[in-house]
Amino acid sequence: MKIGVYVCHCGGNISEVVDIKKLTASAEQQSEVAVVRDNAHMCSDVGRNLVLEDIKKHKLDRIVVAACSPQFHGKTFMDIVEKAGLSPYVFEMANIREQCSWPHFNEPDLATKKAKDLVSVALAKARLDESLSRKTMPIGKRVLVVGAGIAGIQAALDLGDAGFEVYLVEKEATIGGKMAQLSRTFPTEDCAACILSPKMADVPANPNITLFTNSEIEKVSGFLGNFEVIINKKPTYVNDQCVACGVCEEKCPVKIPNEFEQGLTNRRAIYVPFEFAVPYRYLIDESNCIYLKKGKCGNCKKVCPHDAVDFDQKAEKVELKVDTIIVATGYDIFDAKEKKVYGFGTNKNVITSLAMERMIVHEAEGRATREIGKRVAFIQCVGSRDEQIGNEYCSRICCMYATKLSQLLKRADPKKDVYVFYTDLRAFGKGFEEYYKRAQKTGVKFIRGRVAEVNEDSKTGRVTIKAEDTLARQIIESEFDLVVLSVGMTPGAGTRQAAEVLRMTKSPGGFLQEAHPKFKPVDTLNDGVFICGCAQGPKDIPDTVAQASAAASRAIRLMNKGVYAVEPITAVVDEDLCSGCGTCVSVCPYEAVKTEIKDDKRVAKVNEMLCQGCGSCSAACPSGASQQHWFMNKQLKAMVGAALGEEEK
Amino acid sequence: MIDLKLSDPHFKWEIMKKEGGEGLLKCFGCSDCAASCPVRYFDERYNPRKIIRLTLLGMKEMVLSSPFLWFCAHCHACTERCPQGIKVAELINAIKNYAVEKGYCPEGYKMQLELLMKMGRLYEVEDFDLKKRQRLGLPPIDKTIPDVAKIIESTHILKVLKK
Repeated sequence: MKIGVYVCHCGGNISEVVDIKKLTASAEQQSEVAVVRDNAHMCSDVGRNLVLEDIKKHKLDRIVVAACSPQFHGKTFMDIVEKAGLSPYVFEMANIREQCSWPHFNEPDLATKKAKDLVSVALAKARLDESLSRKTMPIGKRVLVVGAGIAGIQAALDLGDAGFEVYLVEKEATIGGKMAQLSRTFPTEDCAACILSPKMADVPANPNITLFTNSEIEKVSGFLGNFEVIINKKPTYVNDQCVACGVCEEKCPVKIPNEFEQGLTNRRAIYVPFEFAVPYRYLIDESNCIYLKKGKCGNCKKVCPHDAVDFDQKAEKVELKVDTIIVATGYDIFDAKEKKVYGFGTNKNVITSLAMERMIVHEAEGRATREIGKRVAFIQCVGSRDEQIGNEYCSRICCMYATKLSQLLKRADPKKDVYVFYTDLRAFGKGFEEYYKRAQKTGVKFIRGRVAEVNEDSKTGRVTIKAEDTLARQIIESEFDLVVLSVGMTPGAGTRQAAEVLRMTKSPGGFLQEAHPKFKPVDTLNDGVFICGCAQGPKDIPDTVAQASAAASRAIRLMNKGVYAVEPITAVVDEDLCSGCGTCVSVCPYEAVKTEIKDDKRVAKVNEMLCQGCGSCSAACPSGASQQHWFMNKQLKAMVGAALGEEEK
Repeated sequence: MIDLKLSDPHFKWEIMKKEGGEGLLKCFGCSDCAASCPVRYFDERYNPRKIIRLTLLGMKEMVLSSPFLWFCAHCHACTERCPQGIKVAELINAIKNYAVEKGYCPEGYKMQLELLMKMGRLYEVEDFDLKKRQRLGLPPIDKTIPDVAKIIESTHILKVLKK
């Protein structure tokens, strides 16, 4: 065996703390080590070629690189090892940056000692590495996109345009998501409906996209290249013959608050979600329809000239096979009723920012739905940055949408007094600071201080806000006609459901977890499943669209070649030792292990395609029958031995 | 004026070690506490946000010697509302306890303690009071409550003050 050891300086990140000379000298003393080299940047072209040439020249068969985290450059070096004709799994990385020089920057001697130990550990493992090889599997071009807000729409259009077969599933009766409800978009003030509706119309026009509205994913099984999906298509009680003439709506006796309009107007039980809905077709709200609840009425069916109303429609299950999945399930706005001190729900002059979006649309269209009043106050961070209600995170959009809404109000009526009470004002994006300045020029007053109380005068209904202007260090107690709560984002029911159905990992705030915050921002820990938009975390429209295109491109990257490589780091069962107890089956998070009868004996069997190499089964196996390639028990023992300074055997 | 050269970098960590001081670092200065504070409403020299800010800056002398530190009425309105979940009133208490340990206890508090040690009450019960109670048909009460002195002794506050 001939091992090559390569020590990286990381441009000083490592070498300023760890004594490289001592480290290389120590590595040279280790058994089987044939070559030891160091370089300022092992990951550079020069560094990579060093490894490549050494493997050929010295006939090396194991490589150890002591540098940064394998999360960072593991793949870089594995590719080099593979390029040299070796298995990429005869390579080990000793992380002497994140696990050594960075945390121990003030203890160079001990850091050098630890770096030596880390290299010994990597060497101990490398000596026992097997020449595993990646398998290739065929993969098709079918993608499931869950959620058809702006994120899902963008991802579906990109994939459809690139020639992939897209199934777009939306739980609501129309696509468009929350963006459809907005007035303008910051900082350019494009009309949201005007820029969104053409994209919505492109969806049914795209021959590669199959759209399922009013539908939810019920079950997903299988794995990358072979997902089996069951979609529950809920009944709309209106069939394809509907031409949206609207005769039915006129005859429907039910009046209930319109959700799309945030309750500012009413709708009927048979309705179109909004004027640019896609598909533009009526549906019946079964929880409010008198016929569906009591068997009486049926006016809509009687008057429909196209016989489109069908009360007998039932939920349908649709089964699909797809190769990759993009989750774009978005967010819900924070339920402001939870923040009792602001009185939302009990005080009619306290509204949410989403209602204000609608009011501005109505005002602009000349069909005002309620009086806005002369004095308007925005309260920021409602449901964000608030550990009292359990949301530690910043929702990112509220500063800018309040900056937008406040100046739209002020510009429409300069006589209005518009105030924004903020905790910190975050104008971080391109053009945002300029937009914030524009709001100030327009005459909006920004006050730095969190609002402590919103009190209602029971006689006049006017509301009084109490806060401290922290910059003037004065208490402000002032009366307003309307208080707008700048509500933050929460992961939402759709995202929670998707996380459950797809068994996805969540971040502390409840949003879906990406595989790596910097280098795999739209990948997830589930191979072939990607995330984008607000399902991953709060973000604005430009970031959402960018992420949606990124998710589409990451999915294309997997599918485009028609085959993909599978990591061989999977669990392996020693059938002689296995007692078939099934412990591994119960701990496996990917349903990758099953027990089966083989030669009259029950044994565990691993599906290598499903296995993600998490190691749960190996750790749980009571007999040691279940082990994991590249992390075999003998390797782990040797690593622990090396860490403890035991003599090599 | 704040002289940053006088900043004591250990101060905030010392406060955080004390019971109630744990949440100190979480403060993002929104002033929900100050806006909720009934004391602040009437006397702007008291401001919990300012006390927390100066503590974070390490302005030990400025915080401990300030008479306004002792204005907190412990109504806990701030604790109820702090979006960062800081127990603000407890935090002010932690700073007060630290102040006493470092010899910054106001004279008024020391005098109250003496009264409690002597009588077990802050208000002296005289014969006049007992007669008045009798007239109203109320039972008599003891002029002194010696148990209070025992309780005070077991808290070691006297030793802390002597240091």
